[in-house]
Amino acid sequence: MNKGIVLAAESPIRGRRFGFAGGSLVAFVVLAIASWGFILLVDGGDLLGLFSGETWNRATDFIGQLAGRGSRSEPAFLQPGEWARTGRLAYETLAMSVLAIVFAGIGALLTFLPAARNLATGELAPSRSPVWRSLFFVVRGAYMFLRGIPELIWAMIILFFLSPGILPGALALGLHNLGILGKLSAEVVEDMDPRPARALRVAGAGSFQMLAYGIMPQVLPKFLTYLLYRWEMVIRTTIVVGFVGAGGLGREFRLAMSWFHYTDVALLLMWYLLLVVAVDMLCAYLRRISR
Amino acid sequence: MRRLIESRGFLTVLLVAALVWSVSSVDWGGPLVHTGGFAALLQFLRAILSPEVSPSFVIVALGASWETIAYAVAGITLAVALGFPLGVVASGVLVRSARARWPAMLGTRFLLAFLRSIHELVWAWLFVVAIGLSPMAAIFALAIPYGGILGRIYADILNDVPAQPLQALRASGGSEWKVFLYGRLPIALPDMLSYTFYRFECAIRAVIIMSFVGIGGLGYQILLSLNDLLYNEVWTLLFFLVALIAVVDIWSNAVRRRLVS
Repeated sequence: MNKGIVLAAESPIRGRRFGFAGGSLVAFVVLAIASWGFILLVDGGDLLGLFSGETWNRATDFIGQLAGRGSRSEPAFLQPGEWARTGRLAYETLAMSVLAIVFAGIGALLTFLPAARNLATGELAPSRSPVWRSLFFVVRGAYMFLRGIPELIWAMIILFFLSPGILPGALALGLHNLGILGKLSAEVVEDMDPRPARALRVAGAGSFQMLAYGIMPQVLPKFLTYLLYRWEMVIRTTIVVGFVGAGGLGREFRLAMSWFHYTDVALLLMWYLLLVVAVDMLCAYLRRISR
Repeated sequence: MRRLIESRGFLTVLLVAALVWSVSSVDWGGPLVHTGGFAALLQFLRAILSPEVSPSFVIVALGASWETIAYAVAGITLAVALGFPLGVVASGVLVRSARARWPAMLGTRFLLAFLRSIHELVWAWLFVVAIGLSPMAAIFALAIPYGGILGRIYADILNDVPAQPLQALRASGGSEWKVFLYGRLPIALPDMLSYTFYRFECAIRAVIIMSFVGIGGLGYQILLSLNDLLYNEVWTLLFFLVALIAVVDIWSNAVRRRLVS
């Protein structure tokens, strides 16, 4: 309550807060002008051409083809057999997303402890050795690298070595999300209430006991929330790693696009939307019972 | 029954079942690795020690980085232009009567959900088909799902503004428009800006992904180098990419820490 009143009184664009945030805003506006200038003047982006009749015709044509106009056979989304065939792909896609979250979750659980500042160097540190301390920078750096590279790039690289299927897709999604989940979990440990762990330590608990009874009970519920939130993101991205051949709906989407089977594309998009909505609803339910 | 499906034990069972199911759905017996896959992997990993640093290639990488930034910034500005009005309508804060508010709120919320549920790469693909290979395809493909996300978050932030300062404005006779301009918006602005900056970070990654349908930038260069098996170039580009993301990440975190204290 009070926060709102204070904020209203000293608006962020005034006073001490102006310094960095205001400067950043100005920098962003300059960047925006430069970007639009570059795109419109140098890069050949044509804003007016976008609203020309030709663009309009092509767009409506395309939407018409998605809906089945001009196709010789019956649209794919009206054939039960096609629904069944693509349903198997949707099932694969779902499995891929769950496997990706399993990879990311296990990876994050195994590595996030040294990445928390208060466990690396703070009062809760189990060890004062420089090896343990430097592990903080190693793991944080690895998280940065893993999440900095988008899933699609990971998939392109992994598909150089692994044969297509749901494994490379899940691995690519898992690596990227490991970077995100690890960082988020480490931050949860940094923000947790240190008193239970401190009390356990004073009472003579070992490092493992402190971890099991002082830290994990606080971290796990938040970890689960983040896991579910990432799953919602992963199910949306499965289609993307599929594009480069990782299997599931995305792969079929790409094939259908290149064969101009537009009613297949429409059917695949329907399955994709169904999956996204179903996962969102499932996550809402799981979040409720984990509370 | 209700107690069973809402218990912690049931949650554990569900999680373990998901783990077992997902691991078992991989065809572990089939050919997992390409023939010669391991050799290629070793070659790829060895190339990390000798990234391509010739001046001509560094200039290519710098140009690609700028292109990526420009598309992301342009996309985000358009997404704000799309998300802000929709978010204001979806929050329903401008209308006092409940009967006029609900249809508009539900309608825009549904529209926002639709915009954001399709991935930006899918939008990019559809746009490339519809308007051809132009930077505009990337920018619109980014602006639509991001506009959907921003609009939804803006609506939530506007709704969460504490009621007391607004009551004060209303009591002194302000219309809902004035309450919005002088009360709600100034209070909500730091949170809205903070979230927009976070999304800017995501937009950089999204633009890199869009290279896949032929949009220029860092991702496109990675695709080209990977297709030519020039692993040294791939590593140089990956380092540029991670550095770019790191800079934007640090910047947006610094801004957000100061905006939301």
